[in-house]
Amino acid sequence: MFKLLISLLIITFSYADEPIVPIPLNEPVNVEKAKLGKELFFDPALSRDNSTACVNCHNIYNGGADERIVSEGFNGAKGNIQSPTVLNARYNFKQFWNGRASNLLEQANGPLTNPAEHNMDSQKVELRVNSSEKYKKSFQAVYGVSYIKYALVLDAIVEFENALTTPNSKFDRYLRSQEELSKQEKEGYTLFKQYGCITCHNGINVGGNSFQKMGTFIAYNTNKKFPDKAAISNDERDINVFKVPTLRNISLTAPYFHDGSAKTLKEALTAMSKHNLGIKLSDEETAKIIAFLETLTGQRPKILDLF
Amino acid sequence: MNLKRIIYLVLAIGIFSSVALAFFYIKQKNFSETYKEFLTSMYNLENAQANLNYLILQNSVYAYHNHDSIFQKQQEILDAYNILKNSAILYDARYGSVKLSLEQLKDQLKENNEKIEQYLMLNAGIKNSLLFLARHVDNASKTLEAKQCTQECQDTFLQASTILKHYNDASRTQDIDYISNVNLLLSNRSTEEKDKEFVNSFNLHAAYLKKQYPQYLAITKSIFNNDVSSTLKKLRNDFTTLTLSDFQALNAFTFILFGVFLLFLSTISYLFFVYVKENKKLLETKESLEYSLIYDQLTKLYNRASLEQKLNQIEKPHILLINIDNFKNINDIYGNSFGNNLLVKLARFLEIKFAKIKNSGIYRLGGDEFGVLFSDIENSIALNIAHVLEKEISSHSFIFGDMEVHITVSISSNSIHPILENADLALKLLKKDVSRSVIEFKESLNLKRSVRENLQMLEAIKTAIFEDRIVPYFQPIVNLQTLKIEKYEALVRLILQDGQCLAPYKFLETAKKSYLYEEITRIMIKKSMQVAKEYPQYRFSINISMRDILNEDITNSLFKKFDAEREVASRIDIELLESEDLHNFDKTQEFIQKVHSYGAKILIDDFGSGYSNFSYFATLDIDSVKIDGSIVREITTNERKLHMLRSIHQFSHGMEILDIAEFVETKEIALLLCEIGVTYGQGYYFGMPLCAPLESDVVTLS
Repeated sequence: MFKLLISLLIITFSYADEPIVPIPLNEPVNVEKAKLGKELFFDPALSRDNSTACVNCHNIYNGGADERIVSEGFNGAKGNIQSPTVLNARYNFKQFWNGRASNLLEQANGPLTNPAEHNMDSQKVELRVNSSEKYKKSFQAVYGVSYIKYALVLDAIVEFENALTTPNSKFDRYLRSQEELSKQEKEGYTLFKQYGCITCHNGINVGGNSFQKMGTFIAYNTNKKFPDKAAISNDERDINVFKVPTLRNISLTAPYFHDGSAKTLKEALTAMSKHNLGIKLSDEETAKIIAFLETLTGQRPKILDLF
Repeated sequence: MNLKRIIYLVLAIGIFSSVALAFFYIKQKNFSETYKEFLTSMYNLENAQANLNYLILQNSVYAYHNHDSIFQKQQEILDAYNILKNSAILYDARYGSVKLSLEQLKDQLKENNEKIEQYLMLNAGIKNSLLFLARHVDNASKTLEAKQCTQECQDTFLQASTILKHYNDASRTQDIDYISNVNLLLSNRSTEEKDKEFVNSFNLHAAYLKKQYPQYLAITKSIFNNDVSSTLKKLRNDFTTLTLSDFQALNAFTFILFGVFLLFLSTISYLFFVYVKENKKLLETKESLEYSLIYDQLTKLYNRASLEQKLNQIEKPHILLINIDNFKNINDIYGNSFGNNLLVKLARFLEIKFAKIKNSGIYRLGGDEFGVLFSDIENSIALNIAHVLEKEISSHSFIFGDMEVHITVSISSNSIHPILENADLALKLLKKDVSRSVIEFKESLNLKRSVRENLQMLEAIKTAIFEDRIVPYFQPIVNLQTLKIEKYEALVRLILQDGQCLAPYKFLETAKKSYLYEEITRIMIKKSMQVAKEYPQYRFSINISMRDILNEDITNSLFKKFDAEREVASRIDIELLESEDLHNFDKTQEFIQKVHSYGAKILIDDFGSGYSNFSYFATLDIDSVKIDGSIVREITTNERKLHMLRSIHQFSHGMEILDIAEFVETKEIALLLCEIGVTYGQGYYFGMPLCAPLESDVVTLS
């Protein structure tokens, strides 16, 4: 009788097709614009004291995020949250931890004008790029303009970021039936689904498509103040609510969480299972899930090999 | 309406309809594009919204689900909404309700998205917990099967499965009643450590579910029962109603445009019709013009221009000019159309006559004049032909219905250059000569010289007038009883540049044929009156012809002078030249009365010769008569003339009219006139005409 009841409950929630989809192998990108965007991405001239380039906090050669708990920007100022990865950011439904930017264009403006980061404004950026013969020539060639508007600077950066995708991870190849997962990895994926990680971490980016409260079961460190969703909505239900981060390339983007409190994947898994799943994972289960998570590391963005 | 105006009108209509067409096309295109875009976006939005609901439903059913599809749908909805919001259709104020609905929709979509965010947050925890509980119980059931379970343990399982059943029912029915007012937490009655752990783990999730599940159900329901679809429905209705009226307006515009187009077409057709008509008329005119350049319209013969052209082309031309005698009378009697018919018949007659004669052509030169042109013909043969032709025509009967008409013609023949002019001159000369009907032009006729002299004389008169060399001479008129000069007759003289004095018979006839005659009369009146003013002891006669009386310019200027010099006017005698017909008695009498009103007198000149008519005396108030010189001159030698003079004298005395005898050239005539009792005498015997009157008025019979 129990069995009947239990199976009834389980079949109440049918299982859909695989809730994770692979990253397209070839995203169409305007290479000329992306190349220009890359130059800008790497150029510290886009910061007030010529110290900070985008790449400083988004190491695109290794995970696209910052190894530091919080990034350092203008005049050594500390950021207030852990740098999320720029890789595959185009697949996020919103940008920033609290989703305050609805697309990359809005996002790119953020760090450039943040006093603790690049500490610029649109006029200053225009002044900098227009004083550079190199940029003037490049923009003339790519956009056909003699004066570089701020919007075009952002456009180029966004186009570069659009090119920052990491396709062909082992897991994507598995989804495409091009490669088998190891037993360990496969069991890890099953646990990932069974324990409900998948309810938030799904879609092309294995996350990045919904909000979730940090600490649904057991409250997560509420003392420290971070720019959460409540900072925008002023709704107390949104305290400690953040955009679910992507798990793509997760093994490369330590430290984890908005506060960078988890130094390793194991720490992160322990914390997540405790606060958001209300379960305790065994060491074996943890190892399996980590093995699965590691299959999410994709290829380096092709654009980085082009120039 | 003239053609030019119509063309402008058509142009205007054309431009108007083109502009209207372009305007309509653009407007219609813009509208239908905007309409299509709006409709498509509305459809897309509705579709995406339905899909979103479906995805949420799917999401709520499936244990796990790809959220990407949800936010992609939300993005689709947002994109469709933005297109709607920025649609050009909303610029129209009439679409206010649509705009309002869109504003509402914006808030509702935002609210819905927020709900979905909440839903997804709750959904993850709730599903995970439900799955956890199921798994938790499932794992523990192994213990149950191993029969290691106490009664308490079994109670706990039973309770746990009841709780699971509540949630199962609630989630299947989406009805909160299944989990309200029931115990949803396990009571921890077991003392065994293992059982405690089971209960604690179970309750951690059960407590979460108990707290969150009602919220979850509420938010799921509210997502499905959102206002978006009703707003969309209203939006669609409003939009459809409004665009329907817009399309009706466009339809009406199409009809108007079609009307304008029809108008344009019909005007073009009308213009084309007019053009064809005008063109036809023009062509006809052109043909008739071309024809009349060469041919005479009436007789269909060649015309004068053709003749002149032909004259230049042929060698040794010879012409016969044929003129119908008294054609004017025929026209007067029978009417012009009859005259025209006669001309046509004569033309046909000539054609028949000359059909067989080589190198001949027949022409109508105008009016009643025809020409036959020969080339290379003996003068004698041509003259012979002319004679024969003249006879044939005069003996031919021209038949008009039951009427027979006979005509005679005059023919001149000429081969001397200038052909036409010479033939003309000869014909004119012929017309004066009633005895002949055919003439041949010869240099010996001297026709040209008289023409030349005429022209020279006219020129001389003209110069004389211009140089003030027309002057009056004065011949005394003597009272035969007292032998005293009482009057002078002013006689016109033309002084040539060399001082020679020309008498009127030398130039007055020529002057009469031109306008110069009037001018001479005017000068004579003016100058005579000037002299008369200087000699208040005499009366003065001025010669005025009947023609002058009928000319108001002359009579007006005469009376104007009379008005200016009333005393002089009373000493003026007007000598009416009697040699012409006095055919307008009324006008003449009117003139005479006016003359009398100034105290001036009327005298009939040259009485007893030419056209003399006693009836004048019955109708006109005449003061004196001047007995014609042809009578006076011969009274001493010709008994009859003497008798005529006596008769005129007696008659005039009877009528109490004074008589004057002119041409008194000898003493004998003078004495005889005195004896008869004629009142006045005038002539060389008494004095030649002089440039001024004499101071002394005494004459002696020597």
